[in-house]
Amino acid sequence: MSFREKIASNRFVITAEVAPPRGTDWRPVVESIEPLRGKVDAFNVTDCQRSMVRMAPLPMAKLLKDSGYEPILQLTCRDRNRIALQSELLGAYALGIENVCLMTGDFTTLGDQPDAKPVFDLDSVQLIELASQLNSGRLLNGKELKGKVDLFIGAVYNPFAGPEILQIWKLEKKIKAGARFIQTQPIYDVELARKVSELVYSLGAVPVVGILPIKSLKMANFMKRLNPTSVPDSLIEGLERASDPASYGWEFALDVARACIEFSGGIHFMLVGKVQELANFIDSVKNHSDYSGKF
Amino acid sequence: MVTVKLKPLEEILSSLSNYKKVYVIGCQLGSARCKNGGLREAYRIAGYLELKGFKVVGVKSPGGTCVLDRIDHSTKSIIREAEETADVILSLSCGAGTQLIAENVNIPVKTGVTTLFIGAEREGRYFEEYCIACGDCVISDTGGICPIARCPKSLTNGPCGGAIAGKCEVDPSLPCIWYRIAQKMEQLGELDKLRRSIPPKDYSLSVYPKKLVLEE
Repeated sequence: MSFREKIASNRFVITAEVAPPRGTDWRPVVESIEPLRGKVDAFNVTDCQRSMVRMAPLPMAKLLKDSGYEPILQLTCRDRNRIALQSELLGAYALGIENVCLMTGDFTTLGDQPDAKPVFDLDSVQLIELASQLNSGRLLNGKELKGKVDLFIGAVYNPFAGPEILQIWKLEKKIKAGARFIQTQPIYDVELARKVSELVYSLGAVPVVGILPIKSLKMANFMKRLNPTSVPDSLIEGLERASDPASYGWEFALDVARACIEFSGGIHFMLVGKVQELANFIDSVKNHSDYSGKF
Repeated sequence: MVTVKLKPLEEILSSLSNYKKVYVIGCQLGSARCKNGGLREAYRIAGYLELKGFKVVGVKSPGGTCVLDRIDHSTKSIIREAEETADVILSLSCGAGTQLIAENVNIPVKTGVTTLFIGAEREGRYFEEYCIACGDCVISDTGGICPIARCPKSLTNGPCGGAIAGKCEVDPSLPCIWYRIAQKMEQLGELDKLRRSIPPKDYSLSVYPKKLVLEE
């Protein structure tokens, strides 16, 4: 069953992030996720995340697809104007890539090519509207398309950003514009994951909660600097006490992931490092009687 | 106002290195208000140039160097005087004023400033960019606060996911302008207006060079 069919039939989905290589060597990237074959429903292919130059996400998504994985093409507004975004999405669909996750994108100066000209012709809401317009058979300018487009559109949500009401309204705008699934920033608190999931469901989309295992206290503090309220004190204290912080952080994240199966639409693993462990975790929950029928 | 910043003195010196007699022209509008190119700074630069062996043949700072009538009046023309007495003009006016001088004289014109932005004075100490002259003003709908100029991504549908703890992800020393917009719209009882989806901006209106034609 495809990612889209699973979402449509209310099954719990598991997605994970794949970053294209810094260069052309794509095979090791594809080989590294082999243990997740048949376990992760779809892989988000990032679009020069953190504004770092990497291989373009569309060819990487196609390479993943050809290797038997289902991709979710991430596309940002940072580097492409509305002409480029339309042509990119048309190209994606022609190559058989249906799933897209559309976002505004990080700013140029935060990455490793800070001298680049930032584009931001559209924002995330407008990009989602654009994709929906393509789905309706027309370009943004109203001209009719040759051949159909049927993209399955997703978007992102950061529950730690503000002002809260404007973030919620922006999420509402994205869903009204056609986003069917919403992947969140990493969440380490079950109650927050529940609240966010309820919010997304209430607005008419399927929540997919971001899971990012913390490997060390250093990483936790880095995350805290980026997003001060996102890392709970209990996690920091646990990492400080733990003899093996990496496995503490891993288990902590998996506890949140497990809890999400009860009330959310899916989980999204970011920066997959422990691929085999993740595969084992997915097997354990999929085979667990508590979750039978969920997947 | 148009905000400018004096270039480093070494850079100014280097641009004048092939010349001897310099005429310094500032501007009493933007350049003087932001204390980077008015009469005071023009005299300061002139003194420095004299120290470095240049002959400064004139120092003027009209009230609006980008207005031709102010620099080339029929009875008293600053640029004619400069042209007759100097090898080179050093302008401390914004890019507009400096170009207007350059296209009306036959001697070289060098700039002593970089034009930064259209901004407002804050607390008498610093200036902030308020307007990028996009050609399609939206601030009537955003509490009089411009998200095009004051959000690095020019977002019109609300803040991005990097707006953490009121700060802008691009420069955490700056507030995310959407917090100010929300606060202002709430005060005005118009917060709900921010719930509407804003269509893509028409960037054809932003294409430069723009032109304003006065109607007869």
